[in-house]
Amino acid sequence: MLRRTALAATALFAASALVLAGCTASTGPGPTGATGEPDADASVAIRLVLEPGNLDIRQTTGAALDQVLIDNVYQGLVSRTTDQEIVPALASDWEVSDDGLTYTFTLEEGVTFHDGQELTPQDVVWSLQTRKDTPEWADSARLANVSSITADGQTVTLTLAQPDSSLLWNLTGRAGIILKEGDTVDYQTAANGTGPFVLEEWQQGASITLTRNDAYWGDAAGVGEVVFQYIAEDQAAVNAAAAGEVDVLTGFDPNLTEQIEQSGDWTVVLGTATDKSVLAMNSTAAPLDDQRVRQAIRQAIDHDAIVEAVGAGQTLYGPIPEPDPGYEDLSDTAPYDPEAARALLEEAGVEDLELTLTIPADYGTTIPQILVSDFNEVGITLEVDAVDFGVWVNDVYTNKDYELSYVNHAEARDFENWANPDYYFTYDNPEVQDLYEQSLRATDEAEADALLAEAARIVAEDAAADWLFNWAGVSAVAAGINGMPVDSVNARLNLAELTKSDG
Amino acid sequence: MIRYALTRGALLLLGLFVASALIFLTLRVLPGDVAQQIAGTNGTPEQVAAIRESLGLNAPLWAQYVDWIGGVFRGDLGTSLYTGLTVTAELAEKARVTVPLGILSLLFALAVSIPLGVLSALRRGRADGTALSVGAQAVAAVPVVWAGMMLVVVFAVWLGLLPAQGFPRGGWSQPVDALRALILPALTIGIIEGAMLLRFVRSATLQAIGQDYVRTAAAKGLTRNAALIRHGLPNVGLSVISVLGLQVAGIVVGAVIIEQLFSLPGIGRMLVSDVGARDLPMVQGELLILTGFVLLVGFFVDLVHRLLDPRQREAA
Repeated sequence: MLRRTALAATALFAASALVLAGCTASTGPGPTGATGEPDADASVAIRLVLEPGNLDIRQTTGAALDQVLIDNVYQGLVSRTTDQEIVPALASDWEVSDDGLTYTFTLEEGVTFHDGQELTPQDVVWSLQTRKDTPEWADSARLANVSSITADGQTVTLTLAQPDSSLLWNLTGRAGIILKEGDTVDYQTAANGTGPFVLEEWQQGASITLTRNDAYWGDAAGVGEVVFQYIAEDQAAVNAAAAGEVDVLTGFDPNLTEQIEQSGDWTVVLGTATDKSVLAMNSTAAPLDDQRVRQAIRQAIDHDAIVEAVGAGQTLYGPIPEPDPGYEDLSDTAPYDPEAARALLEEAGVEDLELTLTIPADYGTTIPQILVSDFNEVGITLEVDAVDFGVWVNDVYTNKDYELSYVNHAEARDFENWANPDYYFTYDNPEVQDLYEQSLRATDEAEADALLAEAARIVAEDAAADWLFNWAGVSAVAAGINGMPVDSVNARLNLAELTKSDG
Repeated sequence: MIRYALTRGALLLLGLFVASALIFLTLRVLPGDVAQQIAGTNGTPEQVAAIRESLGLNAPLWAQYVDWIGGVFRGDLGTSLYTGLTVTAELAEKARVTVPLGILSLLFALAVSIPLGVLSALRRGRADGTALSVGAQAVAAVPVVWAGMMLVVVFAVWLGLLPAQGFPRGGWSQPVDALRALILPALTIGIIEGAMLLRFVRSATLQAIGQDYVRTAAAKGLTRNAALIRHGLPNVGLSVISVLGLQVAGIVVGAVIIEQLFSLPGIGRMLVSDVGARDLPMVQGELLILTGFVLLVGFFVDLVHRLLDPRQREAA
C-alpha cells in the first residue's frame, strides 16, 4: 500500500550525491547522549512533512494519520514495534489455536477512554464487527476471514472461516483500532482513544498537539506534550531547527546534514524502513508484455548509483524489503549489466524503444535523471512525465494508463499487491497468487515466510517491476531527546518512551 | 455617481458569476478523485464507490453546479468533503491569519514605497536616486521564497528576534506572539510588493513634477519640492489608490506561497492542501471568496478614485 507521507519523504531526496558524514546507523530507539535528568513535563516539537486531511481514523487512510494517532491516541488489541514485531497493547495476552481458526485475547483491566468512559469487552466486539461490516472504513476487508467475534468476561474470541497468517499483523493497524461503542466524538476533528496521549488541539494547516494522558492504564508517557509541526519545505524545517523551534526533524534530507550540525548539537540518524521505491512496468501492452524487455530494463539500471545519489537506504532487488517476513537477497535476479540489457532487447526484437515514466511531481529529478541516462545507455529513450499526485492516482493507479511509473510504497508486508491482478502493477501470475494464498493459510510462521519468499523470487525473476531501492528513514534529533523512534517513522511513530532533558 | 456605482456594481456581480462558472468547470477538468484519495491506494473499488455515493459525487455536473451556486446565494458555500466542516467556518477561521497578514503586508509595502518612491523621483539623475530605482527593480524580481528564507536566516536564526515559522496555538488570544509570528511573512511580501509599488510611485511623482499646476505653484514662489509635496502628492496618492487593487491581488498570491513557507494556518495554505486533496467544495469556496475579495477591492478603489478625483466626476 502506498502512503502519501512516503511520497513526501521521497520528495526530499535532493539533487546531488553525497557521503553521509556523521550519520549513525541505529536500530534501537533514539540516539543517546543526554546527560541531564529527563523533564517529565517537557514539550517536544517534532517536524512532520505531510499533514492528514482530517483525523477520522475510521475512514481516512494514509500514514499521516497513523503516524500521529495510532499507538499514541488510539490502540488495538495488539501493536507492533519498529522492528515489526507484534506486541501486546489492549490485550495483555493472546493465543492462537493449532488449526489457526481461533484467536483468544485477554483484555487489560481498568482501561479507560480519554473521556473517562471504561473500555468494555463489548466495545472491542463492536469495533471489530463494525469495521468488518462497514466497507467505507479503512482496511475493512482485512477482517474478511473473521466469521465471529465474541466476548466472555475479559476474553475476546475471534473465530475465522479459514486460517489467516496476516490477521494479527492486520490487527496492529487500522483494522484493529478499538473505539467506544456509540461514541459521539466528532472523529474528523477530535479523538477519543485509550492511548498514552490525548489529542489536545489540531491547528489545521500548522500543528497537532498531544498531551500526556494522566489517567493512562499503562506506564505514563515520558513527556508532558508533543507538538507535531507540519513543515513541508526542507530548508524551512532546518531553519526552524536552527532557531530552536523543533526538537526532531523526520523526513530529513541527508544532504542538509552538515548544515544542521553547524547550527547546534544535532544527531542525524538512519533508521530501517520498509519503503520500497517501485518502478512499476505496465505489462498489459507491447513491448513491456515481453519478460525480456522488462528484464533488460532491470539490468540497465545501476541501483548502487541510485542509492548513492539519494544519500541513504540500500539496494533492493525484489518485492520484499529486509525488515519484512519472506525477505531474501534477490540481487542475482537483476545484476547491473548494460551489455546484457542490450542483448535482451535485441533478442526481443525491440529497436529504438521510447517509454514514458509517469511520476508524482514531488519526487524531484534525481532518480528520473539517473533512469534517463541508464536507459539511454542501452538504447531506450525515456520521457519523464511529472504530474500532480491527484493526477497520478487517477491515471496510473486507478486507470492503469501508464508505461512506467515509480512511487514509494512505504507500507510493511504489502506483498499482497503482487498477488492481485487488479492492482496497478498489472502483474497477473496464478502461481504467485497460489503461493500467496497458501502462505496466508499456513498455520506455521516459518512455512508462511518460506512460501512468501518463494513467491517473491518468482515476481523478481518475472521482472514484474523493478525495485529501485529501499529507503531508510532519516531523522535529525536534538541533544537531550531520548526514545525517539527512528525506524519505520514514515509509517508509525510511537512516542510513549520519548523523553527530553536539558543536558 | 450613483448611476456609476450601480453600473460598476452590476459589472462586479457579472464578474463574480462568470468567475464561479469558470472555477467550477476548471476544477472539474482536474483529474483525480477525492473518494479515491480518502480510500487511499489500498481501498477496494466497493469502498471507493461507497464513499463516492455518500459524498454525492455521482450527481450530474450541472446539478452539482446549480446546487453549489444556489447555496452561495443563500450564504452557504458548501461543506468540506474531508472534514465535514462548512467552508464558511473554515474560511472565517483561516481569515484570522490571512487578513492580518495581508493588511500588515500592505502597510509594509506602503511604508516602503511611498517615501522611497517620492525620494527616488526627486533625486532623479543623481546617484542615490538611481540606486533606489535600480534597487527597487532588483528587489521586485526576487522570488518570494528566497526573500522569506533570507529574512528567516537573519532575524530568526542569527539574531533570534522573531519566530522562524508557525502561529501561536492560542491565536490572537496571545496578541504579541501572533503579531510577532506575522512580522517576517508580512515583511517578505511587503518588501517585494513595496518594490513594485515604489516604481509606480516614482513614475507618478515624476509625472506630477511635470504638471502645469506644480510649475505654476513653483512660479508663485514655492520651492519645487514644496510645490510637489503640497500640490503634486495628492495626485500621486490618487494614482496609488488606483493600483491598490492590483497590489491586493499580488498580496493574495504572495500569501499562498508565504503561508506554506512559514507554516501559517491561513487561507493560502488551506487552498494548497485542499487542491492537493481534491476537496473541490472547499477549493471552490476559497477561490470564489478570494476572487470576490479582489473584485470587491477593485470596485471600491474605482469608487473612491472617482469620489476623490473631480476630473473623473466631470467626465461622467
